[in-house]
Amino acid sequence: MQKQKTILIIEDEKSLREAMVDILTIKNFITLSAKNGKEGVKLALSKHPELILLDLIMPEMDGTATLKAIREDVWGKNVPIIILTNLGTTCDQNLGGAIENKLTHYLIKSDWRLHAIVEKIERILKV
Amino acid sequence: MNKKAIISAFEDIILSLKVLAKEKESVRRKLVTTAAKLAATAEKLAITAKEKESVRRKLVITAEEKEDVRRRLAITAEKLKKSYETLEQKVLERTKDLEMSRAKEKAILLSIGDGLLVTDEKRNIIIINKTAEKLLGVKSQEVVGKSFFEAVLLVDEKGVSIPSDKYPIKMNTTGIASTVAGTTYYCLRKDKTKFPMAITATPVLLGGKVIGTIIIFRDVTNERDVDKAKTEFVSLASHQLRTPLSAVNWYAEMLLAGDVGELNEKQKKYLDEVYRSNQRMVELVNALLDVSSLELGTFVIEPESTNVIELIQSVIDEQMPQINGKKILMSFLFEKDISLMRVDPKHLRMVVQNILSNAVKYTHDGGDIKIEVSSPEKKNILLKISDNGYGIPKNQQDKIFTKLFRADNVRGKDTDGTGLGLYIVKSIVENSGGKVWFESFRDKESKGTTFYVKFPLNSGMSIPIKNN
Repeated sequence: MQKQKTILIIEDEKSLREAMVDILTIKNFITLSAKNGKEGVKLALSKHPELILLDLIMPEMDGTATLKAIREDVWGKNVPIIILTNLGTTCDQNLGGAIENKLTHYLIKSDWRLHAIVEKIERILKV
Repeated sequence: MNKKAIISAFEDIILSLKVLAKEKESVRRKLVTTAAKLAATAEKLAITAKEKESVRRKLVITAEEKEDVRRRLAITAEKLKKSYETLEQKVLERTKDLEMSRAKEKAILLSIGDGLLVTDEKRNIIIINKTAEKLLGVKSQEVVGKSFFEAVLLVDEKGVSIPSDKYPIKMNTTGIASTVAGTTYYCLRKDKTKFPMAITATPVLLGGKVIGTIIIFRDVTNERDVDKAKTEFVSLASHQLRTPLSAVNWYAEMLLAGDVGELNEKQKKYLDEVYRSNQRMVELVNALLDVSSLELGTFVIEPESTNVIELIQSVIDEQMPQINGKKILMSFLFEKDISLMRVDPKHLRMVVQNILSNAVKYTHDGGDIKIEVSSPEKKNILLKISDNGYGIPKNQQDKIFTKLFRADNVRGKDTDGTGLGLYIVKSIVENSGGKVWFESFRDKESKGTTFYVKFPLNSGMSIPIKNN
């Protein structure tokens, strides 16, 4: 059996965070969750998850600053990060996150089914 | 004395008497003749007198007429004099009126709330109004007579001067009036501060010749701020709206998928309704966001090297759940040498998304949808998206690109449409210099709609990609 992979969810909206935690747990992932960027950076740099789901608009430290902080780290510059947000238009995401050779992906939450997000994570991590 | 002598004496006497009588007669005749002559003369004399009288009378009449003419002349002269005086008065009044109206016009011109500059044909300033003085931070006497380019310093957002040939003031020598308007200029004041300026320059024509230019401008700082606030509001509002929608979506999805236990049929049906209504809300929010970004004027074309085939494939993938749900046969054909192309990927994506989702919505279960992509002459991308669906009623075909319009034959069938999709498509395509059109049939032999989109490529960059 494959080793369980760890996903860090950085999301301030409780209902969305819990939904992601639940589905990923069901799909056999280990989850870590943070309700703002500050907590997220701390968890990311200490636990080194295999992938990070990152919200953009958050209190304390927003997604952009969080992304920058993680990418500045030696480990952090290679971790796949999916930015999940509800900002912007459907087309800001540019290619709808279809390019998977990049490390940073961009999705609009309301346009993506939870299962599709999981499938995307699985593709990126080659689970 | 003898008898014979007496008789002879008598006979002599008789003879003499006879002679006498004759003479008497002759004298009488002469007298009569003379008398007649006299009478004739007298008559002539009388006629002459009459004529004389007539002449005299005529002379009198002529004199009267002369007097009359003199009198009339005098009256006319008086009238003339009066007319002249009135005329002078009128001229005075008119002049006054004219001066008044000119002063009024000038006052109006100078009091216009927008900045106003008028130049001659050499682009030297001849009029500047108060607002323009205030906006530019100058006094009228400082700039009148000077070149427009000297008086109004235009810069871009970063403060870099705009060369005079890029100024929105164009004189056209052909004399065809044309207005040049631009909003992307900043004006540098005398004190080196700048403000965003909306400017319109129009040539002044007189008898078909350009005799100058009128330049109207204003400070659009407030408008910019309002626009920015609006854009921020829309994006924030959309964020706030989408967050609860996402939560409903995701939890309903987990329940429907049986991730936390099986639901009975009725529960599934109800939940499916919740999910689908929510999905519709998501679509509406997205469409409103797209429309507002188009209408707020934040429409900017940002071309980049784009893998068009991958982009379209990703749109198809996104809509696969709906396509599979209706058991629609989806085919995607493209020319082998379709390359990486310079287009705005956001816009192309929006266009394909909207047309494809319409095709899916308005095609029966088990129908066909086909997307074909070609690149005629490598100058455009030609998209052909066809379905064998419901078709668009003939009498409504001219309205389908109108905002919020929905055709009669689909309004009853499903409630999913927003009436915004094709409006967005048309706005994007036309703003990008492209063209969108369609064919639609509802006959027995051929049914369905084909949309064509010609999307211009922005520059020559073209790298072949592999066709899998």
